[in-house]
Amino acid sequence: MMNHKGDFLSLLKNADTLQVDGETRRESNAKALIHGAFQVPSDGKVSHGTTLEIPEATTVVAMRYKEGIIIAGDRRATAGTAVVHDRAEKVLPIDTHSVLAISGAPAMAYEIARVLKHSFQYFRRSQLQELSVQGKLRTLSRLIRDNLPMAMQGIGAVIPIFALYAPQTDESENGGKIFFYDALGAHFENVDFATTGSGSVWIRGVLRYLDRWGETRLEEMDQQQATITILRLLDTASEYDAATSGYNAKAEIFPTLKIITRQGIETLTDQYLSECYTEVT
Amino acid sequence: MRDLPYRWIEAIQDRRDYIEDQLRLGSPVVGLPYAQGSLLLTVSKGAQKIFEVHDRIALSAIGHPADIERLRMLVTDTASVQAFQSATEDVNLHRLTHYVLAHTFKQAFEAIVGEAYIIKMLLVEIGNGDTPTQFTHINYDGNVKVQHESAVIGGTTEIENAMQDYLTAAQTDAKPDLPTALQLALKTWAVGRGLSQRFEDADDNTEVTDEQLNDIIKTELADREIEVGVLDSTLSGDTKFRLLTQDEIQAASGTN
Repeated sequence: MMNHKGDFLSLLKNADTLQVDGETRRESNAKALIHGAFQVPSDGKVSHGTTLEIPEATTVVAMRYKEGIIIAGDRRATAGTAVVHDRAEKVLPIDTHSVLAISGAPAMAYEIARVLKHSFQYFRRSQLQELSVQGKLRTLSRLIRDNLPMAMQGIGAVIPIFALYAPQTDESENGGKIFFYDALGAHFENVDFATTGSGSVWIRGVLRYLDRWGETRLEEMDQQQATITILRLLDTASEYDAATSGYNAKAEIFPTLKIITRQGIETLTDQYLSECYTEVT
Repeated sequence: MRDLPYRWIEAIQDRRDYIEDQLRLGSPVVGLPYAQGSLLLTVSKGAQKIFEVHDRIALSAIGHPADIERLRMLVTDTASVQAFQSATEDVNLHRLTHYVLAHTFKQAFEAIVGEAYIIKMLLVEIGNGDTPTQFTHINYDGNVKVQHESAVIGGTTEIENAMQDYLTAAQTDAKPDLPTALQLALKTWAVGRGLSQRFEDADDNTEVTDEQLNDIIKTELADREIEVGVLDSTLSGDTKFRLLTQDEIQAASGTN
């Protein structure tokens, strides 16, 4: 049998030798692939200040509203001053009630999201229960810390927002939770909102202002009000940050917006966003 | 012992008798498709018997709990590692059955000095596009039987045949809705359960009436619970498996 003690990451990292009842099977590429994902090139030539251009920069934002969490991201991926992709997905569902919004190097971020998704699924399937919220947070912490060498080299930092809805929360309460991470893997719970990425500096203050002195507090907004607020914030970020895209009317490219409620995750449709945009512009 | 072929065959036969005797009273499992996917049903005393293996694959078994757990973990681990290393779309029941489970069952069964697995396993994978829904029955000796319409596992071959005959006669071309499928699965389970009880008393193979089946269900549910796992293709997200709650089961089956 495979010896992993219920730890999916270890199972994957040691997957080069899978033992099935005494019969050893070589899975030669697995270890190299998985280890390689979190290691700095051994020649040490890649260092801070290198000319290697890694696509990054983003605006992702999450906030609590009346029914749960709304979480969103723009669609642009850049490398230096070049726009390399205008349909990037930065808001990634991890399981039925949790979402990771990524900023930073996409290669590392997508890999972290993938490992996270598989880890949560594996825990549920093997242990026959959902991983606890704390368990989920620590799994993500560990992945971000494993990525530290890449972050230190200045080529692979990933700063995500992790948002989830705890379905076991009492009906009368909002079970939405937003967590923010630093590059070392420490997590902090942001009660009302969180934003990260290069465009976040332009909207963090706005979020604070709206939450404190806005006509309707963020948490009291309904879905439409929350959607319009988020679209306006992303529009503001794209105005000042070249690495954040706004709504591209010509190509009909909308930001990604998802809501997480007691019922699960729902992606807001382009048609719905298009209707909300009439309120934005 | 291996240098004496007739003794080896004898040992295998002894082992077969021993395992079949252990499995004889196991609570049967029924698998059949319904309009939105497929279900697995059994009746158990608390311990979970129906499990999620992967996005579109579920498992149930009868046998020794330790063996069920060990082989469940083997197939779950393998599916998870394959999905991670490649893609979830590359995990399929055919590969898990033929390259992982069947030879493990056979090896353990024929290694007469080692421990045998006391188990019969039923796995289901719901169809996706061109791939049809598949029920796979794996016997303790590694024999595999693949079916597409429905499948059962029971304590003996006779029990399985009686259940399968009942199920096939009752199934129609149109896929039933979940409550109808659940009720049919429950009655099929009762056919198997009734037969395994009658084996205890006498060699009686007469057909049972609907009323008798209802009596069996009523008696058994006094200290047991119906367990139903579905692979529902309409569920959003990659994972299509879920266990029905007791409320849902009672509403669908008409039992309480």
